[in-house]
Amino acid sequence: MQLVVRKNDLLRELQLFQGIVERKNTIPILANVLIEANGDEVRMLATDLEVALRSRCPATVGKNGSLTLPAKKLYEILRALPETDVRIEEDKQGVKVSADRFDSRMQTLPREDFPTLPEPSGKARATLPRAALKEMVAKTQFAITGEDTRFFLNGAKFVLKPDSLTMVATDGHRLALVEVMHKVGITEEVGVILPKKTIMELGKLLAEGDGDVLFESGENHLFFEVGDRVLISRMIDGQFPAYERVIPKENDKRIEFEKERLTSAVKRVALLSNERSRSVKVEIGAGKVDVTSSSSEFGEAREELAVEYDGEPLTISFNAQYVLDFLNVVETDVVALSLKDEVSQAVMTPVSAEGYNYTYVIMPMRL
Amino acid sequence: MRRILHVDMDAFYASVEQRDHPDLRGRPVAVGGDAEKRGVVAAASYEARTFGVRSAIPMARAKRLCPSLVIVRPDFTKYRAVSQQVFAMFRDVTPLVEPLSLDEAYLDVTENAWGEPLGTTVARRLKDQIRERTGLTASAGVAPNKFLAKIASGWQKPDGLTVIAPERVETFLQSLPIDALWGVGPVTARKLRARGIHKLVDIRTVDPRMLHDTVGSLADWLARLAHGIDDRPVVSERHPKSSGSERTFADDVTDLDDIRDTIRTMARNAAAWLVRHELYARTVTLKVRYDDFTTITRSHSDAPTRDANAIVARARALLEKTEVGERPVRLLGVSVHNFGPEVTPAPEPQARLPFDV
Repeated sequence: MQLVVRKNDLLRELQLFQGIVERKNTIPILANVLIEANGDEVRMLATDLEVALRSRCPATVGKNGSLTLPAKKLYEILRALPETDVRIEEDKQGVKVSADRFDSRMQTLPREDFPTLPEPSGKARATLPRAALKEMVAKTQFAITGEDTRFFLNGAKFVLKPDSLTMVATDGHRLALVEVMHKVGITEEVGVILPKKTIMELGKLLAEGDGDVLFESGENHLFFEVGDRVLISRMIDGQFPAYERVIPKENDKRIEFEKERLTSAVKRVALLSNERSRSVKVEIGAGKVDVTSSSSEFGEAREELAVEYDGEPLTISFNAQYVLDFLNVVETDVVALSLKDEVSQAVMTPVSAEGYNYTYVIMPMRL
Repeated sequence: MRRILHVDMDAFYASVEQRDHPDLRGRPVAVGGDAEKRGVVAAASYEARTFGVRSAIPMARAKRLCPSLVIVRPDFTKYRAVSQQVFAMFRDVTPLVEPLSLDEAYLDVTENAWGEPLGTTVARRLKDQIRERTGLTASAGVAPNKFLAKIASGWQKPDGLTVIAPERVETFLQSLPIDALWGVGPVTARKLRARGIHKLVDIRTVDPRMLHDTVGSLADWLARLAHGIDDRPVVSERHPKSSGSERTFADDVTDLDDIRDTIRTMARNAAAWLVRHELYARTVTLKVRYDDFTTITRSHSDAPTRDANAIVARARALLEKTEVGERPVRLLGVSVHNFGPEVTPAPEPQARLPFDV
């Protein structure tokens, strides 16, 4: 194999692979990226067996072929090079990576050891609006548990209906649900659980560029085609909890807040909350809401917010972080909090959001 | 004012050997390892000490110092039995007995079973009793605290009795060289002397910062001792770190029911021990020795407990991690450790979404 590629083209792609390969992987080949030179492009593939990324960029190929190189090291080298052409070639001694006056010989692992990954069939594909998908990822990914024994919570539920997309994540204490109305071009409903890592990497792929995302659900794998890149993900087996059931319908008390003011108040007051529980109290009274905290170690804090409210007074406690997680990803100026009582689920929603429905359910803390 | 005794058996191992072997009496005796095999002296009789033979020196060197030295291999089973006899006498006088080793202990006799108002009388009576019942001598120190009592017992040896009455503490402190203190070895003593500190009481007048720079964390402790202050209580039992039992089967077993029964008995015993000692254990350990003598242990840690059923369940659950039932078992053991206070799990303040309702 022998190819020449522009440094920036290759670097841009390799950067996206850094989240995919695991440095501490026990299977050595999984630390490598598979590089295939063919025609006028170079194709790359890396995987941790849960998520895989395939991408490509233009290259001048002198000799077709394929080889593997350590993804992190190759990335570090490219990052350190000036804007120039990079030459990768295999000879009898091994693999040479060179540019300008820089010369290197890198350790390689047999191409045959690299796992085979499924390809999308190209059939039964759904077309997902890129901007909406990006929103869905951003507004739900923080609610996915890191390492829950209930493995189905280690991912987000993704539901496609002929005219809507839904993404839901929960850690058992709070739940984030985003629904977008859009004709996605399928006739049968699809419901899958995406691993947390898939969601994170998908978020990165969606960060730049435009154009719809093609989605395909295979036997055991899911494919997201984002431009020239394909994210391949294992599906999480299992039954996602019946999330519709925990979304309250009878929250009769509703308060609207200016988002910025509520965010600052919660951030400030939380500084004196109990370090472990991060509990803040929301004391709702006529025409005002007090956000308060107290901890035996630090002291106590209070901030008053003027609101329109003339219902019964109510005091409810939340983990400040849960509230801030929501406020941080909402872009509307006004948010609403609706409640039933101090022990039942509270719901936060953006007010006048365009193009999507966002429902954030939080379980209160016991007072 | 407390009355603390420090009792130290004189040349303990060597004295026991001389008692049991009349031919060794009056001769320099060293108990310890073989000179040829790099053994060291564990104890030296007073006859040997006159030649400079001390404990912890290499036996080969002891032999050079004292060519007529009689070397006796130690018999710790015997020493332990004598020690238990002596400690039983201590505990008849007061429950506050803090063992330092087999032959040395602190006793708090402020209150004592004999109703003796003077620590001195308690010490004399104990020494007499030890001589009568074991044929051995002990040296004792009597003082208002542990540090003074320990120094006092070493003042006259063997068969000594030194009393530091409260009104004589100051005179006694004035006479103490700096290296008489436990915790001040030759190196520390040299550093202190270099700073002009030769006697313990010299510490009273030095700059605390200078003292700290010289001896580090020892400074505060030394400053207190220089004023004769030592509040350390006599602690009757070293905090136990674990408890458990083992059973070796007459015939190797494979029957799981037998094994589970044995584990239940041992786990219940461990729980009863925890109740008696008012402790809770975090860790339960199962030990298994297979018929080929390979031995494994498997542990499980969770919230501290002393509940018999919980400990039985934890110990039995550990069987899953062994090959018991497939490989014949020769020995089983169950033990509890990692003691801690009872933890009543607080209800988690963060409520959960009612998915399961």
